[in-house]
This record gives sequence, structure tokens and C-alpha cells, in this order.
Amino acid sequence: MSLLIGALTIGFILSLLALGVYISFRIFDFADITTEGSITLGAAVTAMLVVNGWNPLAATAMGFAAGLLAGSVTGVVAMRFGVNRLLSGILTMTALYSVNLRIMGRSNIPLLNEYTVVTMAEKAGQRVFGTAEMSLLGWEVSVRDLSLLIVAPLLVAVVSVLLFAFFRTNLGTAMRATGDNAQMIRALGGDDRRMVILGLALANGLIALSGALLAQYQGFADVQMGIGMVVWGLASVIIGEALVGTRQLGFAITGAVMGSVLFRLLVAVALRWGLNPNDLKLITAAFVFIALILPKLLRSVPGRQRRVASA
Amino acid sequence: MLELEDVRKTFNEGTAHEVRALQGVSVKIEENSFTIIIGTNGSGKSTLLSAIAGAFPVDHGRVRLAGHDITRWPEFRRASLIGRVFQNPFSGTAPNLTIAENFALAARRGGRRGLGLAITSKLRCQMRDLVRELNMGLEDRLDTPIGTLSGGQRQALTLLMASWQRPQLLLLDEHTAALDPKSAEQVVALSEKVIARDRLTALMVTHSMQQAARLGDRLLMMHRGKVLLDLRGIQKKRVRAEELLDRFEEVRRADLLDESAAEMLARSYV
Repeated sequence: MSLLIGALTIGFILSLLALGVYISFRIFDFADITTEGSITLGAAVTAMLVVNGWNPLAATAMGFAAGLLAGSVTGVVAMRFGVNRLLSGILTMTALYSVNLRIMGRSNIPLLNEYTVVTMAEKAGQRVFGTAEMSLLGWEVSVRDLSLLIVAPLLVAVVSVLLFAFFRTNLGTAMRATGDNAQMIRALGGDDRRMVILGLALANGLIALSGALLAQYQGFADVQMGIGMVVWGLASVIIGEALVGTRQLGFAITGAVMGSVLFRLLVAVALRWGLNPNDLKLITAAFVFIALILPKLLRSVPGRQRRVASA
Repeated sequence: MLELEDVRKTFNEGTAHEVRALQGVSVKIEENSFTIIIGTNGSGKSTLLSAIAGAFPVDHGRVRLAGHDITRWPEFRRASLIGRVFQNPFSGTAPNLTIAENFALAARRGGRRGLGLAITSKLRCQMRDLVRELNMGLEDRLDTPIGTLSGGQRQALTLLMASWQRPQLLLLDEHTAALDPKSAEQVVALSEKVIARDRLTALMVTHSMQQAARLGDRLLMMHRGKVLLDLRGIQKKRVRAEELLDRFEEVRRADLLDESAAEMLARSYV
């Protein structure tokens, strides 16, 4: 049971990563690998501030802000200096590795004995439920796990609603149009390059927020924790699109969150069945590869056009 | 008023692919005039429109519009003065956004885009009235993604979007060339109507001599990056499609003569 609760909680925390990846990959069609550095950056900044006695909420907000900055660096390098998009992300990611080590001072910062948002959620849970252990549908669960399972989706819901609202403002609509048709937005007086920079900042802000929460949940920040995160985020987005479709913004956002949670559940089940954790990234990469080429493969099978077109 | 002063543009200068697209174009376009631009392939007519819209910086010369020197303005900034419809019906709209969202973007052409809600109910009413005029039944489908519509429908909507905020200048770049004949006819009729009703200053590039003869109150014929012919007033009114075709034939013959003369000279002297 606690395995299940843990998988769900991580799924919700990493759904912020999925939302970030959705913004850069799907809205802007920008393969942004800054992600791998910015998730660690969010964790590193928040961990250091927490260790130095900051209020955990303020520390988490600073993690988000650091992500905004990292994303805009990639955006400026790509859009103002005209560096290849993929390379811009690689440059920032590589630079962030050193930056993260500088921030943390070493490769790992433990947070288990610190006062973090997780401690806050646990305290709040104990106040509400009045105990440290309780039974849920016959299982013994700790109030800590349960309160996190309540707080994480609430937070994700708030972020999702804000994001949904933002993308329906004048600025947000212009940003979505930029990914769709940059020529059009220029002809209508929008600075398409600025839109991409803003979009990448927002995406990496969410990703860093996800990292900040993940570090506090798992009890440490590690300089290696970002490796493979782009593909994990992409897998969540793809699962979400398969679940609810891509046509509308609201569905896409909900899909990314659902995809992330489902993906973590699948991973937890696979690990429980004895999957070697070392193989996880290989399998995820293979999954994303298949999901990316599947539509093309189906189209090339004669007589299947119609079904693919309507899907 | 639009004023071009000795505008020049060479692409890929100094390479084997050098194209001297504009070789000194100077024109003044009066306010509320509807000017047609024709020319052979590669004559620079589309390049001229792109230079005005700011798709690339010009090598030489000045571009002035409505009292501003816009020569150094980036493309998106010029959009505050200029509305555009492209040859490709897919260029003017964002396919995954709904009709309403596309129109909301057009409503803010050149304006600030802040955190206000993009589609307000007031704006929705305005766009519904606007779209209803098309008689395409689209006013009831404002929430469908625009990518699901036909090229003709998208081009008609792009035209409405481009002219909505009454731009200082409307640029139509062969905007019916990629459409089927019936849609092309509809879009031309709509263009005429909108330009006349809102008294817009418009530049329209076309391949069709019929359109060139029938529409507009001024006609520019371009050749090799220069304005070769400039008809206005009664001259423009009287010109027929056949005469324009004859002019093209003349130009073509002169070109052939140039080439064969050069060849002859090369044979004799080089």
C-alpha cells in the first residue's frame, strides 16, 4: 500500500515536469533538454535554502524562479543568438551541471532532518487526523504518506488551473499561436522570439518546481537526479495524449498530469515484478521511441489510413 | 501614405546564387488607393511586399508608412500598421487554435498582449458579426480549430483578421493563387468589398491579368526588380487584360533579344 501511495505521490510531483515538457515540446515544438539541468537546479536551490534555515515555501518558490532563469537562458541563446535549438538546451544543461555543483558545494545534500514542505504537510496531516498511523480500507498507512497524497494533487490542481487560465489570456494565446505558426504571430504584431523565450522560462520554472518538491519528498538533492528526465516527461505527455487526446488545451493539461501518475504506477508495478531498476531508462526510451514512430508505421500499412486519420 | 525610396535588395550577394531581387524601387502609394502589382516570375513583386512587411532588412533605401520611417522596424513591429494575407492559405492562421482564438489574436494586432482574458463576451459578439458576413456558416463554429477548415475558408478568415483593426496598409500577396477557382472568386469579391467599405490602402500582387485589369485604381508592372509600368486614373481604368498580356510578351521578347545579342557579341568579340 505504501508503495502504491508513494508511486502516486511521485507521479503527481513529476506531473509538473510533464507539464513543463508539454509546454516546450508540444506547444513550442522545441526539444528542450535544459530540463535535465533545471530539475536539478530547482532541487539544489531549494535544498540549500532549506538547509540554511529558509522557510520551505519561500525556498521552493526560489527553486521555481531559478528554473525560470535557466529556461530564459536557453531561450535567449536559441532565439536572440540564433544557436540551434537542441544545442542551446545542451549548452545550458552542461553549464547547469557545474552551476548545480557550485550551489550545493558537493554532489548530494540530505534533507531528511530538515524542516521542509513535506514536514509541513505531515504536521498539518497529524493535526487533522490526530494520529501518526491510521488504517485506510484495512491497510495501515502513515499519516505522513497520506497527507502528502492529499497535498500533492491539490498543488498540481492549483498549478494546472493557473496554467490553463494563463494560456487563455492574450499573452498565453499568443504563445500557443507562436508554436503553431510563428509567421502568423509576427504578422499580427507579436514578437515570436520573445514568446518562445517566455515559454521556455515557464516550462523550466515548472520543471524546477517539480525538482524542488521531489528533493524534499525523497529527502535529498542529488546532482545526478536530472538524468533521463526529458524522456520521462515525454513518456508522461505521450501517455496522457493517448488517454484524453490533444485537441483542447484543458484535455492536454489534464492528460499530462494523468500520464505522469499512470507512468509512475506502471514503473512501480514493473519494479515490484522484479524489473532491474538499471533497465528503467532503456525501457522508457524504447517506449517513447515506439510511441513516436507508431503513427507513421500505422500510416504505412495499406488500408489503415482511415482509422489513423480519425484517431 | 506609403513611400518607397530607392529600395534595393540582393539575396546571396557574391555567391553563385546571387539574386538581385529589388534594384531601386521608388514609389509613392496614396492613402485609400488600391494598387495592383503584376510581373513575371522573379520580377520582385513578392519580394517588394516582403520588404514592406519587414520580412528581411533592405540593403539600401527607405520605407516610410503613415509618417513613420519603418526601414529599421522589425517585422512584428510593422504589424501595428500593416495587415497581411499570404499566398499560402495556411500561413495566416494558427491551425490548432479555434476561430475565436485566432480572431482574438488579430484583435490585438500591434497592441500589448497582457494577462487579460483573450476572448471576452463582447469580443465574441464582434467576431460573430464579422464572420457572419462571409455567409459560410462559420459564425456558429467559432470554437472549432481553424485547421479543420478549407483553404478558401481560412483565407477568407485571414482577410477579415488582417483588415479588422483597419490597418494603414493591407498587403495581399497572391492571396488567391493557391485556391480553387470558386474560392478564389469569393476571396477576391470579399477583398474588394472590405477595401472599398473600410477605405483601406491596399497593395495586391496577382498573377491573374483579369484581376489586374478589373480591380484597383492603380497598376504597377514589375520586371527585373524595377517598376516598369505605372498606370493610374483613366489609364488604369481603360486597360484590358489582353493589353497587359501584350506588355508581358514585349518584355519577354526584349529579354530574349538581350540574351541573343549578348550571345552574338560574345561570339564575335570574346
